[in-house]
Amino acid sequence: MLVEKYERSLRGFLSRTFGRDVADDIAQDAFLKAWRAAGQYDGRARYSTWLTRIAWRCRLDVLRRHRADDVPEASAALSAGLSAEVDDMLGRLSESERASLVLCEGHGWTHVEAAELLGLPLGTLKSTVARAKAKCREMWEGAARG
Amino acid sequence: MADEFDRFLESALAPPDRLPDRKFVARVQARIALEERLAAQHSALVHDLLKQLLALAAVAAGLWWIGRAAPVASLFSQSPAVGLAILTTLFSLLVVLLGRRPDGKVVPAH
Repeated sequence: MLVEKYERSLRGFLSRTFGRDVADDIAQDAFLKAWRAAGQYDGRARYSTWLTRIAWRCRLDVLRRHRADDVPEASAALSAGLSAEVDDMLGRLSESERASLVLCEGHGWTHVEAAELLGLPLGTLKSTVARAKAKCREMWEGAARG
Repeated sequence: MADEFDRFLESALAPPDRLPDRKFVARVQARIALEERLAAQHSALVHDLLKQLLALAAVAAGLWWIGRAAPVASLFSQSPAVGLAILTTLFSLLVVLLGRRPDGKVVPAH
């Protein structure tokens, strides 16, 4: 079934970008919405891209609903399943930097796909990835130097 | 060419290398099954409601047609109490008939 096939990559992306607790709720909602909207999937994009787009919109909806409640930055809850080093690195990035980096460097998305998902111009997306990567490299090299 | 950092980053950010999470999959499947059940119940309810409205309209039209017949109209005008008793009985019968589920049981009142 589709949930079995795609939960690993979707939850991987969501937990690295938003934190694991939030990730599981968003992933569940996304799968449910994808099931409801199955007829609208036209096969132009990969199914995983379509599903991730739904999940991203779910996250935006949650943020919009809870704007008044001051939703905590997800970086504080990134830890589960990640090494402290990666956790620390990602925690210092903004949400869009994390999302861009995870998609393009970890999940093999093209810049065009990621830009479309995040609603960013292609040039902005590329510079966001480059900036996020440079920040991580700096932290990684700093940690290596001790 | 990818250096050590690139390799580290790629492996750190790649989807986790593991089997599907059975608990999560089961949770999502349960929610989908629940949604399917609710959708089926909803459509059955709408279907039943339409059928009942149609039946009510047909009965009302029948009663109206019968009421227009001269002997019935004169009976109603001479003794309205009898007419009311007949209408009440017919309405009660109708409620019992429409309240029956397809399996023949009467839907309990809540």
